[in-house]
Amino acid sequence: MGNFLEAPYLLEAVVVVLGLALLMLEAFLPKADKRLVAYIALFGLAGVLVASFNMKAPENLEHSFWSFYATDNLAFFYKNIAVLATMLVIVMAIEYTPVLEKYVSQGSKQGGLGEFFCLPVFVCAGLMWMASAKEFITIFVSLETVTISFYVLVAYMRRNVGSLEAGVKYLILGALSTGFFVYGVTWVFGLTGETHLEKIGIALQGLEGSDSAVLFAFTLILVGLGFKVAAVPFHVWVPDVYQGAPTPVTAFLSVGSKAAGFIVATRILQPFLEMERLHSSFTTILVIVTGATILFGNFAAIPQTNFKRLLAYSSISHAGFLLLALTCTPDQFQLTPGQVVAFYLATYLLMTMLCFLVLTIVRRSTESDEIAAFSGLHRRSPFLAFALLIGVISLAGVPLTAGFLGKFFVFTLAIDSGRWILLAFAVVGAASGFYYYLKVARAMYWEEPTELAAIEISPLARLALLLLIIATIVFGVYPAPILGLLTN
Amino acid sequence: MVTLNAYLLVSGLLFAIGFAGVLLRRNIIIIFMCLELMLSASNLSLVAFSRFNTVNGLPNYNGQILVFFIIAVAAAEVAVGLAIIVALFRARRTTHVEDMNSMKG
Repeated sequence: MGNFLEAPYLLEAVVVVLGLALLMLEAFLPKADKRLVAYIALFGLAGVLVASFNMKAPENLEHSFWSFYATDNLAFFYKNIAVLATMLVIVMAIEYTPVLEKYVSQGSKQGGLGEFFCLPVFVCAGLMWMASAKEFITIFVSLETVTISFYVLVAYMRRNVGSLEAGVKYLILGALSTGFFVYGVTWVFGLTGETHLEKIGIALQGLEGSDSAVLFAFTLILVGLGFKVAAVPFHVWVPDVYQGAPTPVTAFLSVGSKAAGFIVATRILQPFLEMERLHSSFTTILVIVTGATILFGNFAAIPQTNFKRLLAYSSISHAGFLLLALTCTPDQFQLTPGQVVAFYLATYLLMTMLCFLVLTIVRRSTESDEIAAFSGLHRRSPFLAFALLIGVISLAGVPLTAGFLGKFFVFTLAIDSGRWILLAFAVVGAASGFYYYLKVARAMYWEEPTELAAIEISPLARLALLLLIIATIVFGVYPAPILGLLTN
Repeated sequence: MVTLNAYLLVSGLLFAIGFAGVLLRRNIIIIFMCLELMLSASNLSLVAFSRFNTVNGLPNYNGQILVFFIIAVAAAEVAVGLAIIVALFRARRTTHVEDMNSMKG
């Protein structure tokens, strides 16, 4: 069995206990500054992150529990992404406290604020469990842990109409996607009699007749996952929810929810794509969705004037690039599609969090998410402007940033598997990306500011920004540490 | 004896009615009820599959376990969902989807 303290599932258990302890702390210390809860959460999650590198996969995989629980590199990698994203979101939430106080508090100044710092911890536990889930029941429950916590977080600012509307839209469309996903799972269970992905893969190989039933189940599951990763045509909720939700939650949705969707997609699509008889049908469906996502996400982003909406469409277009990697079947490239997706998501985490952290700070001082609010930012705070510049050029994919390498691996993979049409779409999409991302840079450096007051940055946020900038540039030049974690 | 096909037909109908309701109805509470109907459709066909696809003469209990999880998750979803809808009603005095139009673009 190995050492009990090295069992990987302890990580999730610790995160859940941390969340419960924080809720208790919040309940029994009504007078304390609620940000104390956030600092303890940060501290605890940092501990979990360090501990995750000491965890070992069990030697004896025969024990029945381990058939439900993946302990490969990919699982640990996604666990690290989840913890890092949660920590950055909590840093953002601390910065966002004044806005929350305005729309949430009742009774005392910080009344009802504490849960905003506790809920991300539970989301984190769900994301981490999902990274290891290899079985439909586990996948379903962890997916819903994450989604239901997000319903609360999106609608958290209960005196802000935008946040409530976003919450209701996310609720309806999230529940709809759950309905499709579950119905798809039902049909897979009906066809194969299994809920375990590996056994489903074996059962699908030997399946006779009823192609249409398999295609039906596959499509239903794809619809459910499409909602989670924001693929066209299941993206309708994204712009409104991103715009209405509190900014830290938007950042969490864009990184956490997407990472969760893609680890599940990587694991679920595999048994289907291995089914030779229907391989081409499955790939065709995926290719159509991918092409539509890349084109729509990039072109719809061009006319946006609200930075949060712009990032929402950018999130859709990145989902397109990630899906492109999943459609590939490489024969020479040394990384598998799953590894390329994981690498891309790691770089996406860095640059998206950078943008949202700057947005949170600017939002607090200007009360606006419009791109116009960033006019002349370099005169008000050169550091923030530089941080956002690094963020957007990395999102656009300028060489020597982490975002470039992510796109580079996806494109190499596409060339290697001969997806020429999608590649053309992706090139057009990436090119139009330069236009709308650099629009933000132009506003910051070439337009006159409407006010000149300097923007304050707390030491914690400054540290987080600095680390993200350094990581974005370093991993853009030297990606070996991330690749090392993936390939070992 | 009732066949598997009959169960699947009813389940498919439930799913279709639920989905149509989500698309066509305008009241958020009713939309929410239709979403629950879609989950019930899954539950019905899961139990049917589990009963008819026997393993060693016993029903395949994996499906029935999944049903319990779906019921539990659906209950949690309803609790959170209704709370959000009530909060929205307090702020906007409406539960109609046409009124959800403060964001555009």
